[in-house]
Amino acid sequence: MWNNYLFAESVDDALSQLASFAGQARLIAGGTDLVLQSQRGQCPSTTMIDVTHIPGLNQIQMQDGYVLIGATVTHAQIASSPQIQSQATLLAQACGQVGGPQIRNVATLVGNVVNALPAADGAVALFALNAETQVASLDDHSQVHYTWMPIAEMYENVGVCTIDPCVQMVTAIRFKPLPPSAGSDFQRLARRRALVLPILNVGTVVELREGKIADARIAIGPVAPTPFRATRAEQALIGQPATEEALNRAAQLAMADARPRSSLLRGSQEYRTAMVEVLVRRALNNAVRMAKKEAQ
Amino acid sequence: MKVVGQNVQRFDIATKVAGGRKYPQDFNREGQLYAAVVWAAHPHARVRDLDIGPALAVPGVVDVITAQDVPVNEYGINYFDQQVFIPVGGTVKWTGDRLAVVVAETEAVARQAAGRVLVDYEVLPTVNDPHEAMKDRVLVHPERGSNLIKHLFIRRGDIDAAFARAEVIVEGHYETPCIEHAYLQPEACLGYIDEDGRLTLIVATQWPQDDIRQLAHILALPEEQVRVLVPAVGGSFGGREDMSLQPLVATAVLKLRRPIKMVWTREESIRGHGKRHAFWLDYKTACTRDGTLLAIEARCVSDAGAYESTSVPVLSNAVSFLGGPYVWPACRIDGYTAYTNNAPGMAMRGFGGAQAPIGYELQIDKMARAIGMDPVEFRLKNMLVEGSIALTGNPMPAGTAAKECLEAVARAAGWHEQAGHWHKPSLEPPAEPYKRRGLGIACAYKNVGYSFGFDDKSTARVELWLDESGEIDHALVRMAAVEVGQGVFTALAQIAAEALNIPIEKVRFAFVDTAGSPDAGSCSASRHTYVSGNAVYLACQEALARREAILRAETGEQEIVVEYTYHARSRHPTTSWDPETGECDPHISYSFGAQAVLLDVDMETGEIELLKLWVANDIGQAINPAMVYGQSAGGVVMGLGYALTEEVIHRAGRLHTRRLSEYHVPTVLDIPAEFVDIQIEKADPTGPYGATGLGETPLLPVTPAVLNAIADATGVYLGQTPATPERVWMAIKKQRKENKQ
Amino acid sequence: MKIDFVLNGKPVSVEVAADDMLGYVLRDKLEVTGVKIGCGEGECGACTVIIDGKATVSCIYPAAKVAGRTVTTIEGLRSNGQIHVIQQAFIDSFASQCGYCTPGLILAAKALLDENPTPTRDEIMAGISGNLCRCTGYYQIIDAIELAAQRLKEGAR
Repeated sequence: MWNNYLFAESVDDALSQLASFAGQARLIAGGTDLVLQSQRGQCPSTTMIDVTHIPGLNQIQMQDGYVLIGATVTHAQIASSPQIQSQATLLAQACGQVGGPQIRNVATLVGNVVNALPAADGAVALFALNAETQVASLDDHSQVHYTWMPIAEMYENVGVCTIDPCVQMVTAIRFKPLPPSAGSDFQRLARRRALVLPILNVGTVVELREGKIADARIAIGPVAPTPFRATRAEQALIGQPATEEALNRAAQLAMADARPRSSLLRGSQEYRTAMVEVLVRRALNNAVRMAKKEAQ
Repeated sequence: MKVVGQNVQRFDIATKVAGGRKYPQDFNREGQLYAAVVWAAHPHARVRDLDIGPALAVPGVVDVITAQDVPVNEYGINYFDQQVFIPVGGTVKWTGDRLAVVVAETEAVARQAAGRVLVDYEVLPTVNDPHEAMKDRVLVHPERGSNLIKHLFIRRGDIDAAFARAEVIVEGHYETPCIEHAYLQPEACLGYIDEDGRLTLIVATQWPQDDIRQLAHILALPEEQVRVLVPAVGGSFGGREDMSLQPLVATAVLKLRRPIKMVWTREESIRGHGKRHAFWLDYKTACTRDGTLLAIEARCVSDAGAYESTSVPVLSNAVSFLGGPYVWPACRIDGYTAYTNNAPGMAMRGFGGAQAPIGYELQIDKMARAIGMDPVEFRLKNMLVEGSIALTGNPMPAGTAAKECLEAVARAAGWHEQAGHWHKPSLEPPAEPYKRRGLGIACAYKNVGYSFGFDDKSTARVELWLDESGEIDHALVRMAAVEVGQGVFTALAQIAAEALNIPIEKVRFAFVDTAGSPDAGSCSASRHTYVSGNAVYLACQEALARREAILRAETGEQEIVVEYTYHARSRHPTTSWDPETGECDPHISYSFGAQAVLLDVDMETGEIELLKLWVANDIGQAINPAMVYGQSAGGVVMGLGYALTEEVIHRAGRLHTRRLSEYHVPTVLDIPAEFVDIQIEKADPTGPYGATGLGETPLLPVTPAVLNAIADATGVYLGQTPATPERVWMAIKKQRKENKQ
Repeated sequence: MKIDFVLNGKPVSVEVAADDMLGYVLRDKLEVTGVKIGCGEGECGACTVIIDGKATVSCIYPAAKVAGRTVTTIEGLRSNGQIHVIQQAFIDSFASQCGYCTPGLILAAKALLDENPTPTRDEIMAGISGNLCRCTGYYQIIDAIELAAQRLKEGAR
């Protein structure tokens, strides 16, 4: 699979080592996806550079008004974090349903994002949170340079991240914590209740202001090459009172725009399309219910 | 009884929880080499050429074993249609066929070199399902002349007259797929030549002596020159009844005269061993308005896959059970099994007795519904009891406990009986408005022991040591009754302790080694407690008699050894299919089961939430109630996988469910919240202390009980398993559309 | 490359290839055969070990990662010649049949109880949801872990 397994001591060190291997190396955190991909001949890198020893990257913290999740934070940490549970409930729900406890103890959210698969539960939640990823690169003077990218810009195609994991590093994810006037929900449909990829997953965030919907985000996977935001459905909700009719209509719009394909293991196009409406409708209703409760 | 009926601690559990129990992959031998398989790249293809040169050139490779190294390249559990390696000029018939084995200094080198072997194939069209196969357009085994392996039938009574006067006729079509055993321990084998020059294999297998029979043929050796050691087995469920990697390792060891170890990955395991037969079932059943069964016309077809394996006994069992545990005055039954290029259908827990209930229990349920009769009442009205005539025309024996199982489950699940009429409980509606709740019930039965005239036998060797005063100091039971997790070592030891009237601490069970353990027959057909239990019991009786003689004669002997072979047909001879009518007395003993399932159906997604499950198993006498519970729960959960989440998917002979991430067995989160196990102890007078077999029974009623519960909730009977969310949703949608028209 | 770590309370040093996985290193190089390989893709939990207190599937865990860490396998649950309370609870509850999933399950249970000594039944099930068992149907395993939690609370070792 690979010939070298090295450790980085800092972000600077990680990027420098990557540069020295001129595209033959890549970064590894938990490895739960990368190890399998390497075994199956889908990851050509001959050197792995482990980032889990870099101090400071395994924290969930508040910074400048954002919730900041470091690169080596695991799914287990996120699922059990009281901060995430209250300020980004859907993300805790999503991360808590990936694989099983052993996988969640090791697999990182950032690694999941870089792997760029449209079914990734954490990523779908991040899309609904309008998250941003912090990308570290070396500039021409070999200085570390950070940029924030909206999460949607990280995804180019199925399994293809826009950043180059052999050159750059995603060091953090951030999003604005959900205010008390907002509710969120995560729905997942799968063939059994653990250790399984989803047939469909949906993450919603709904913010209410004076009984009307001030903001709505609906993220769906896997219905497209990348996690999908049902923007037409979202737009139809903004400014509306949060009634059942409005939510139902939005679910219909989301179904019309989402285009899942027939899959031997995931199910037919007809079924998956119909389930978009069901899961979006339920996720919106739950999010609104939560927002209304918080408002009391 | 002092020991039988007690929750004696399992003999093997202390080493299993401590991690010290070794499975075949945990063994190593000085100087061992490692072997890796070259698998067939196509499901159906002629092998034009094989070039092992590139593999031999890899540093560390010692040899490449092919068909040329096999003395007699044929074997099979019932019929010799399999080859150890497909030779040049031969034809691969499924992707689990083997072309060669690479032997090297390390496993990594062996696997790498296996990828270098060059095979030139002429790809042939695949035969994908048995219906297509029976047209014989493409033959899987041309030398056999047809893909149809067997047609079985039963003709009893005047069926046309019965249908003519029937007031209610129900038709149904059911399909159930190929299923993977998914035992946790992948196949592994360590082979070597022992100190006595015997070819020796350490391997997980269900019938070591039968492996030897086939290996001796393959290797042209006398059976005494082949030895099999069975340490712990990590689950089998029928999947280790046929040989898997034994012939490969044996051939390599014989040629190279060095220890050779082979361990399959999970993908190789799924690829390389057979599966539960996929079945297609068609029914037409009739009854009167007052609920008396009149006639059954049924046809089943099974996918035998690339090799015959046990397709004929599986079909035989299915055909014999096709009507369920009910009295059918007239029947016209046909069963067919045919070759395809899919994985060979082989034994799996239920062995035909798992597929048949999907047909018969849904037919029964549909008829009850058609006449407006309670489903329990309808079943009881027609159920087999001692003396009833079964589908195959034979009277049912003493110990028939079908009614006891059904009544116990029905009562536990809330049915109440009043003046012979049974009333299903009303159900509390689910909290969510988009869910519907259903309560379903189903029964099933299974043979215990081998059938259709087979001389099912088991030999127990009991060794007693007496102390100076002539009391039994300790006893050792030696027999090749393989412990696959079911608890057979403990159960047989309990029977021995009871029979010898000594505490269980004084009984030991020997490690299974064919050099010292006599043939106890296969670990299958739920037979060991019954057949081997009788052998142990009778061996102990003889040992006690010898002890009496020793004490009377005051010979001072302190060691007694008895070997006793019990022939199950001595208690109940069985017969095979009558050539004209198909009638027979097929089975030695029977085991019955009934289950009720309470579940919620999410009408919008098709998802099933299992709320509660009640199971009653007819066990005759529980040898160890806690072990019985474990087999019951385990069988039920395996049945839930069969009902809801598991299916092997072949497309044009290629597996699309290749790994455990793609083939979904139930996790702990998929089991019902509540599980009630009822042990029905209606003694089988021919079993040891009244015990009968249990291993398969708990699995059999699960799927139809779930399907009947779904029907109770939604009004729709699915015709295909597993009842995935999509299938349930589609069935509901289709019915809604039909209702509108 | 040489890696040093603590295995079942003792320091060990072992030569590994850069792409060796921990489960296979434990089995093949350190003869710790209590680690079982069930699927090789982290989907069955049979290879579960505890690394710095966290239950982890070792078949897809790069061995190099374990340098400087503490690893516990089933062999490490013994102390003073006695098996662990959880192991005894498994025996008493008949929570093992073929036994292949048992070491991984017991370790998942240990990691769970170390973090949450008074789990609800639902929490127990969540804690072992990454472990497949094909034999027992899980009920006796859940009972065993409940029993172990109760006994640990009562002051058993």
